Amino acid sequence: MSDHLSADIVVIGSGIVGSLAAHRLVSQGASVLILEAGPRVDRGHIVAKFRNSPRKNDFMSPYPPSAWAPHPVYQPVDNDYLVQAGPYPYKAEYIRMVGGTTWHWAAQAWRILPNDLRLKTLYGVGRDWPISYDDLEPFYYEAEVKMGVSGAPNTGSPRTRPFPMQPVAESFLEQRFRERLAPGGYEVVTNTTARNSRNYDGRPACCGNNNCMPICPIDAQYHGGLAADAAEQAGAKLIANAVVYRIEHDDRGRIAAVHYYDPDKVSHRVTGKTFILAANGIESPKLLLLSASHRYRKGLANSTDMVGRHLMDHPSNSLTFDAEEELWPGRGPMSPSSINALRDGAFRSEHAAFRIDISNSSQVLSVTQALIANGVYGAELEKRIRYHAARQCSLKNVLEILPDPDNRVVLSERKDAFGIPKPEVHYAMNDYVHRGMAAARDEYTRIAQLMGGTNLRYSPDGVYGNNQHITGTMSMGNDPKDSVVDAFGRTHDHENLYIASTGVMPTAATVNSTLTAVALALRSADHIHANA
Amino acid sequence: MKFRRRLGAVLIASFGFAMTVHAAEDALIKRGEYLAKAGDCIACHSAPQGKPFAGGLSLATPLGNIVSTNITPSKTNGIGNYTLEQFAAALRGGVRADGQLLYPAMPYTSYALVSDDDVKALYAYFMQGVAPVNVSPPQTALPFPFNVRVSMAAWNLLFLDSRPFTPDPSQSVEWNRGAYLVKGLAHCSTCHTPRNALMAEETSASLGGSVVGTWYAPNISSDPTSGIGPWSEADIVAYLRTGHVVGRAQAAGPMAEAVDNSFRHLDDRDLRAMAVYLQSTPAVHHAADRRPPYAWGGRKASVDEVRGEPLPEDANRMSGPQLYDAYCASCHQVHGEGAGQGIDGPGLPSLFHNTALGHTNTNNLVMVMLEGVHRQASAPDVLMPAFGRLLSDQQIATLGNYLLKEYGNPNASVTAEQVKILRAGGEASPLITIARASLIVAGLLLLAVLLLLMRRRKRS
Repeated sequence: MSDHLSADIVVIGSGIVGSLAAHRLVSQGASVLILEAGPRVDRGHIVAKFRNSPRKNDFMSPYPPSAWAPHPVYQPVDNDYLVQAGPYPYKAEYIRMVGGTTWHWAAQAWRILPNDLRLKTLYGVGRDWPISYDDLEPFYYEAEVKMGVSGAPNTGSPRTRPFPMQPVAESFLEQRFRERLAPGGYEVVTNTTARNSRNYDGRPACCGNNNCMPICPIDAQYHGGLAADAAEQAGAKLIANAVVYRIEHDDRGRIAAVHYYDPDKVSHRVTGKTFILAANGIESPKLLLLSASHRYRKGLANSTDMVGRHLMDHPSNSLTFDAEEELWPGRGPMSPSSINALRDGAFRSEHAAFRIDISNSSQVLSVTQALIANGVYGAELEKRIRYHAARQCSLKNVLEILPDPDNRVVLSERKDAFGIPKPEVHYAMNDYVHRGMAAARDEYTRIAQLMGGTNLRYSPDGVYGNNQHITGTMSMGNDPKDSVVDAFGRTHDHENLYIASTGVMPTAATVNSTLTAVALALRSADHIHANA
Repeated sequence: MKFRRRLGAVLIASFGFAMTVHAAEDALIKRGEYLAKAGDCIACHSAPQGKPFAGGLSLATPLGNIVSTNITPSKTNGIGNYTLEQFAAALRGGVRADGQLLYPAMPYTSYALVSDDDVKALYAYFMQGVAPVNVSPPQTALPFPFNVRVSMAAWNLLFLDSRPFTPDPSQSVEWNRGAYLVKGLAHCSTCHTPRNALMAEETSASLGGSVVGTWYAPNISSDPTSGIGPWSEADIVAYLRTGHVVGRAQAAGPMAEAVDNSFRHLDDRDLRAMAVYLQSTPAVHHAADRRPPYAWGGRKASVDEVRGEPLPEDANRMSGPQLYDAYCASCHQVHGEGAGQGIDGPGLPSLFHNTALGHTNTNNLVMVMLEGVHRQASAPDVLMPAFGRLLSDQQIATLGNYLLKEYGNPNASVTAEQVKILRAGGEASPLITIARASLIVAGLLLLAVLLLLMRRRKRS
């Protein structure tokens, strides 16, 4: 093709991480080209699709995949895109569209704890990061200002400057949990979120629609669509529907170009000086593996066979119960507060650490479905919906799974519509996880008691939910033997290929991974700019 | 000893005198600051993110952009060398210190009413209370013939009434104070009075509503249907103080700026006086107006009609209810009733009983959808996001017409062409063409007269 597409910086993936790195670099004067496999979407359409969907609790229903850039969907039937090799199912969800997966998230934008970066040294498990918390701190702050983050001051993650805004006002449920758990020794803290409590950057304050997932209908919470838009406004060129299928290197092992298919499967070649792979923790390793060449037979950045390994996420167990008093979950943000006390401690040498997340999602749908399934109808149904929807609460944890080289993403034998191999995941849980889950269950029981809870329903033992915090598959480290990128996100094998992704996190910690990935990406961008 | 004591007494006395002078001067400057707020000088004489009063704001007029000047006391770039007389001449007569004439984008026809005392206070403030800024904004460059500033002399002859304000003894002190402010410093008529072909205010339709750039400054005469006749004194005061009255209207665009920069800072007595005067202005009625603009519509929802309907492939073919469902209902609610109105601010306004949807001129409705509602430094903060980059001209027209039929004045309408024009900054004025054409005509006439004269001479 004779497109002559070229830029100083070519970013593959327009999600929040890639777009904010792109925004930083283009604002510093580089020419930036962003390639996004999926189509452009706009908020109004997503909102309209959500309101029209009969599957309100399927957060993927407003995001049907395109034919050329499929992503996994599991309802109403599994589209079989993310091939499961087992033994444990890893049903990750992500969105291949301009803006990426943070179109639906609860906007949780936590910093990790300083000790999270020194797991091996302190507790003899997992691995250490090649950087310290202090290396990350200024970039955390930069990310918080861009994304409009607020939160409690007492989360264990030191900060040099205050949050750019106050947290969203406490909902009644959040207030009652805080008050009733305090005597039991639990400190309930407001979640750190990228959600506006006031007008910020031209976006309004949260008005409590309580559908942060699958879509904040008013952009009160930050998302990758805004990041991509900001990058374009700052001068970056974004090409949607550009399915990158191969990264090309030159004789010296530098990246020379990337190749993408448009929706008609016409191939285009894009050259650049520096390349940033930001296509999430599954699609990025897939692309590196796909780009195997005569010289790099196992794929790019993979000379030590580390690409795709150490797959982590946050498995969750949960407890649903009826509180003693009417709390009316469903007013305000869906996920407003947490118990942080068990995110760190000597116990981490024995079992997984976790954060306990207190849900404030409307319970009307699940209560109604359960009552109808039990044959309740008529006036009784109405009465009992009111009773239970006002009282039903749920707790879950966000639990740290350790990096294991056998948990990994590989290329499947099966192919998508363009003939590109689908990603295949190998995933397993170990006793470190199970022991952490048992510890969490004990906490749930105490919490439910303090809330005067009845009708306690624990999630089944050994069956864990997933949180779509795909981490570890392109870990950073000082030693190429057990890592893919260096401390600045640059691949050990290719000096002009960087990776910006939750996938570079060496461990998963106990908080949602987005803010950390953005901070790491801004740090990479800073490094690229300084070395340009 | 005696001498010393006397000297001491003299020193103390003179120090005391100096203190009094100082206090009086401070009070004058402070009053000047208040009057400058009443006159909203800062709105035009500051650029966004620029230094106060350093000028540089480009004002889109039908004749082209007029760039506001630096009115800080800088001796090199501002008005630091102005005498009180020169300051007064500029403010009330539209004449610069160098003798050049100002364009009436500077509302000197209104400021002409400002009293000598108030001019002194304003002068004291601008000379001593404002930080000098030694930077000049770009010069205004209007197209020919308007770049010939001398042409304004003729305009002034026709349209500048330089008589100062004379109180009406038959009216109350409060009414007179209100009239002084409304007609003078607050220069309400600058926007709210329609202008004639020569861009002068049509005094016969004073405050009768006018198009100002892309926005519509509504009829604020006392007419019960077309104007604000039914607004109570308290409504008007609350609107000027906060920019919103539930069930009436909320300020957006230039009026929001006027509230934020000016009216919000005025004391209750002055706002009440302005309200009293505004309630008494001559009614300007438009035959087409059948109800007060805020009196249309009611709680209603057509969103159910589109539930389960697939969205069209072409976004421009989305229906009104589909667009409302997608972009509006999350805040304005499914029945258009809004939420939290008047609890600690406007909340999320109701769409019915809302002036924004009641005018026959729908520019403001379009502008609010394109640009949103932005307020400065107001608490609690008010923000309607801009939809200009999310919605096409056709989508805004479809949505606007749906909103008008559903919640507003069903006789009003929005067209995609109108949205396109407003998005591009408004209609170009025919005035330039007219002025140039009339110059050509005048030239031809002159030529004809000369030819005639020459012929006569030949004959004689």
